[in-house]
Amino acid sequence: MQPDRGTADLVGGTVMSALITLIRTEAVRFARDKQALILMFIFPLVFIIIFGFLMKGSSTPRLGVVVAGSAAPTVQAVLAPMSDLHVIDYPNRSALIHAVEKGQADFGLYLDGDVLHFVYNPTQVQNNPQFMQIAAGITTQYNLARQRVTPIVRAEKVVVGKNPGGWLNLVVPGIIAFSILTAGLTGISGHLTMMKERRLLDRFVATPMRPTMLLVAIGAVRAVMAYIASLITLITAIGLLHLHFAVNWWQFTVFVLAATVGSMALGTIIALFVRRPASAGNIANILAMVMMFFSGVYFPVELMPGYLRTLAMFLPLTYMVNGMQVVTGVSAMGAARFWTITAALFGTGAILFPVLAHYVVQPERR
Amino acid sequence: MNGIIAAARAYLAVSLRERVTLFWFLIFPVFLFVILALIFSSTGKQGKMNFKIAVVNEEKATVAGPDFAAIVVHTFDSLSTAPSGQEPLFTLLRPHPGETTAAFRARADAALNRERITAVVVIPPGFNGAMVARLRASYATPTPIKVIVNNSSEASRVAAGIIAGVISGIDREVLIRAGQYVPSDETKPVTEWTGKNKHAVSYASFLLPGVILMAFFTSGLFGVPGTILYSRDRHILQRYFVTPFTPLRYLLGFSIGQLGLCLLQFALLYVIGRFWLGAQVNFGRPGAILFLVLGFFTFLAFGFLVAALAKTGDGGMAIGNLLNIPLIFLGGLFFPVGNLPLALKVVVFANPVTYIAAGLRMSLGLGGEGMPLVASIAVPIAWIGICSLIAARRISWGVQ
Repeated sequence: MQPDRGTADLVGGTVMSALITLIRTEAVRFARDKQALILMFIFPLVFIIIFGFLMKGSSTPRLGVVVAGSAAPTVQAVLAPMSDLHVIDYPNRSALIHAVEKGQADFGLYLDGDVLHFVYNPTQVQNNPQFMQIAAGITTQYNLARQRVTPIVRAEKVVVGKNPGGWLNLVVPGIIAFSILTAGLTGISGHLTMMKERRLLDRFVATPMRPTMLLVAIGAVRAVMAYIASLITLITAIGLLHLHFAVNWWQFTVFVLAATVGSMALGTIIALFVRRPASAGNIANILAMVMMFFSGVYFPVELMPGYLRTLAMFLPLTYMVNGMQVVTGVSAMGAARFWTITAALFGTGAILFPVLAHYVVQPERR
Repeated sequence: MNGIIAAARAYLAVSLRERVTLFWFLIFPVFLFVILALIFSSTGKQGKMNFKIAVVNEEKATVAGPDFAAIVVHTFDSLSTAPSGQEPLFTLLRPHPGETTAAFRARADAALNRERITAVVVIPPGFNGAMVARLRASYATPTPIKVIVNNSSEASRVAAGIIAGVISGIDREVLIRAGQYVPSDETKPVTEWTGKNKHAVSYASFLLPGVILMAFFTSGLFGVPGTILYSRDRHILQRYFVTPFTPLRYLLGFSIGQLGLCLLQFALLYVIGRFWLGAQVNFGRPGAILFLVLGFFTFLAFGFLVAALAKTGDGGMAIGNLLNIPLIFLGGLFFPVGNLPLALKVVVFANPVTYIAAGLRMSLGLGGEGMPLVASIAVPIAWIGICSLIAARRISWGVQ
């Protein structure tokens, strides 16, 4: 029998007010959950402040030089046009070696007769290959100049793209994406398993509310919090580290919501299999941590070995990082690809929530 | 004594039985070590990296004479194949059959803008003529080959340097064949290394001491307060202390168990580092042993401090989570911490990890020379004293 219009409105109104109550309850509960607040608001800030200051100014290599003797003009002529290099003069070899050892210069160059000596710090293991590449370029130019030969062909670098800010500009959106993933994974899995453990789900299923409503309420609160946390992180990066982002606010809003919903859907899968909140939190943390290393949050995926690049293709965080870089204006992507990623993240939640709600929100097995 | 040994064994057994402890204290340090070593050991090394690029030849080879543009294309083409088991340096985006040069260029530019490829190498029209003119007149300016890169991609930045090296190699080869450059007159550069050992260090060797200290630190920061506070919350400690077993003996047994866990962490990381990742680090040096032992006691005391400050197990974990990342990264375990603003430098200099990491690296000949040896020993000892004092006064054995 179909309910008449008035009854349907009444039922609809009751459901809506119940949902609002649920959302309000979830918001209060979230505000009291110190662990969740730290994870969502404090962690991204700590990460960007530490990494920001650790990595700031490390993009232009600093070459310490001692140029003296007959070959000095040749070396100076070679170094003069190298605009990608910050050249620092030192009075003698020992001052140069001291500077390289203390990290005041990234690597060094001095002349012994007409032989070039390059000095490296063995602890700069991550950067030494790049410095050696620069040294090889200097040596080539120096040898040509010594034989009074100018190169017949040269590479003329042309830079395109949307990110004049360097590596750190790419990391901040990555950290935001990682925070959304972690908050989605741990939040929903931890919360649902806690409700399971305290038998709150038993009481919930005794009400006329549909299981999906609970997930919608949790999801709505998390999505709003994730959005606010992302904004705070972005504003801190701009204000404190003086980074520049060309944020497309419409796309940013849609993408943060889609990423939150997608992450929470993955968190719901954890809640399906785990019974204790601590276990759920740990599994979520482990998964997030594993994904962080292979998804280009800190290390560019393209520079990894082939098998790790293949692995990255299967991780949702890879696409969340790429999408977040696009909406913050530091990277570009085709519109079709961007909206496919957004739809896939949102669709994962939209499909999994109703399906999983049926299995997750049910009385505790005894 | 038997009670102390039993407490140590119980702590170790519980740590190894708990899947979470097992993951964070043993598996995660190994995972981090292996992953970072795999990623950074391959950076910049041919055979382990691959860049997708496009080479667009806009030169129409109709002019009689040598086709230099074809030589450039052939060079990049030859670098897009590699012996089995290795990755080719480049993967080339190629023109479709019948695709015009202009259409291919547009497609390559679009792919670069969308980061589907890392660079576009453009050989301009008139390249062959310019090369011939340049060979005839040595005062002429070098002929440019455009290397277009995308600043949104770190890989693109790295690729630019590698492509410049390839073009430089082509330049040298052409000059030699034209008789304008004598390779036997080249001077070979000399490479020198700073530090005590005066040689290069592999990434695995550099990373191993840092990861070992990180493992000690996390097990001290989380394991110590976690075990004490959760045992207290669950009334397990109360049951211990209604027996003749005193808190002091419990702490002794617990500390011996923690030492066992750290030895296990050390052994596992050392074996993997030495025999799988090729790390060459001599931990047998007296200085290294001193700093490992100092690290163990400092982080153990740090754990006691957290246990004394937190009211519950969850509170202890929250404090641990807040301290963990800042102290590890601002302790110089993975990145140099020299160029930080004053506010963060205060954390660096107050952080016991900074001194132990510098001391251990110094004793292994892996850097750390910036820190005076006296400070590397005195500051951690001061931390042990302060933490022990606070813990002795504040730690409570009953449920709060």
